Amino acid sequence: VNDSFLGRFSQTHLVWGSCAICFAVSAGLVFIAAPTEASMGDVQKILYVHVSVAWCGLASCLVMGFCGALYLIRRRLEWDFWSQAAAEVGWLCTSLTLVTGSAWAHEAWGTWWTWDPRLTSSLLLWLIFTGIILVRQGIDDPHRRGRIGGVLAIVGMCDVPLVIMATRWFRGVHPVAPDMDARMRLVLLASVACFTLLIAGLMFARRRQLELAELVAQLDADDCQSR
Amino acid sequence: MMAESMPLRQLWWLVHKDLAREIRAPHAWSRSLLLGVILVLLLAAQIDPSAGHPTGAIGGLLWIAIFFAGTLALERSFAGEHDAGCWQTLHLYPVSPAMLFFAKLFVNLLSLLTIELVTIPLFIGLTDESLFARPGAMACILLLGTAGFAAVGTLLGALTAGLRNRSGLLPLLMLPVVAPVLLSAAEATRIVIAGDGDPLWGWWVQLLGAFAVVFTVVGALVFDFVMED
Repeated sequence: VNDSFLGRFSQTHLVWGSCAICFAVSAGLVFIAAPTEASMGDVQKILYVHVSVAWCGLASCLVMGFCGALYLIRRRLEWDFWSQAAAEVGWLCTSLTLVTGSAWAHEAWGTWWTWDPRLTSSLLLWLIFTGIILVRQGIDDPHRRGRIGGVLAIVGMCDVPLVIMATRWFRGVHPVAPDMDARMRLVLLASVACFTLLIAGLMFARRRQLELAELVAQLDADDCQSR
Repeated sequence: MMAESMPLRQLWWLVHKDLAREIRAPHAWSRSLLLGVILVLLLAAQIDPSAGHPTGAIGGLLWIAIFFAGTLALERSFAGEHDAGCWQTLHLYPVSPAMLFFAKLFVNLLSLLTIELVTIPLFIGLTDESLFARPGAMACILLLGTAGFAAVGTLLGALTAGLRNRSGLLPLLMLPVVAPVLLSAAEATRIVIAGDGDPLWGWWVQLLGAFAVVFTVVGALVFDFVMED
């Protein structure tokens, strides 16, 4: 056992500690360094969270699909744990995208919701995540859950190009690539990096939790057999 | 020569088997048709031709009716195989899983087109809408939209058929995935009804075609994993 000061910290402490520091710096940048937008005022600062969680939702969907495909090829449960963790984190991020987007829409366009292609495709992504999580919950056998979850993850991943290209392919009110002050752009990039670190931390933690839960289930099954 | 025709012969026998099953159980497919007719009657009752032409909504209403009646047909297509124990027998067939997928896709496509063959003329009769003012354009929308719908439905229908709590799961999973097909088909149908030659029609049809190709390829690739139940 390492009794030194640094030895008392686990990997988990390091991940969450670095997330907390990054968030503090990012929040400082958003509220202090980023200039206030002329027409929308302070409400525009929603953008730094909205774009970050939207990117994280799409990235989670890609991770879910690739890990689902890897499970189908390799048949190792660790890939399914990654896929499930990504689905759950992706659901959370897409939910936050819809909530922050709705708040933005209310201030910018005067409505909480509009059937804009980007909004509609994001809602579809949220429904896909929800469906996958619901199906997974109804299957007890881990390998069967991994197989069905893997196929659904690949199908769900097909929605990602639609969300990304929605503003370019279809006419809508959602901005495609708005002009932005250089400082705003820098703060946005910092915020995206910070949220990416957070979802990576969440995925690691959830995957570890799923792995431990499976280990406990196996030990219980072995215990029952030995009796 | 024989080896070259083998895949086609396999496909034919698989399709033949499913079609024979459908013909022997008319009570099963008649439920999907009846649901389609009821939905069209209810939706058409909401459209009043004398109060102007709400063309924007008509395409959407028609595709909603096709979706729900079609989902019932797709759900039954695989549930029957599981309930009768045919699923295990399918594993013994000396054919690739992709071939089974194409055979099921073809039969499901025929089922959906049969539903459309009944519901669309009824819809036209009740609403007085000129859906076939451009018959080629409308046939193109119907064929590509139904192909995309059938590809997703075949894959997800097979996936959910073996689940313990499958009731109501297929439409729940299918609707978000197939929504781009329904929205594109509804929009293309609206343009055909409006008859203003909107150049965006081609764009919507391309999207329908891309969707059908993507999900047919994805379905053929992953059907091997779906078949493991």
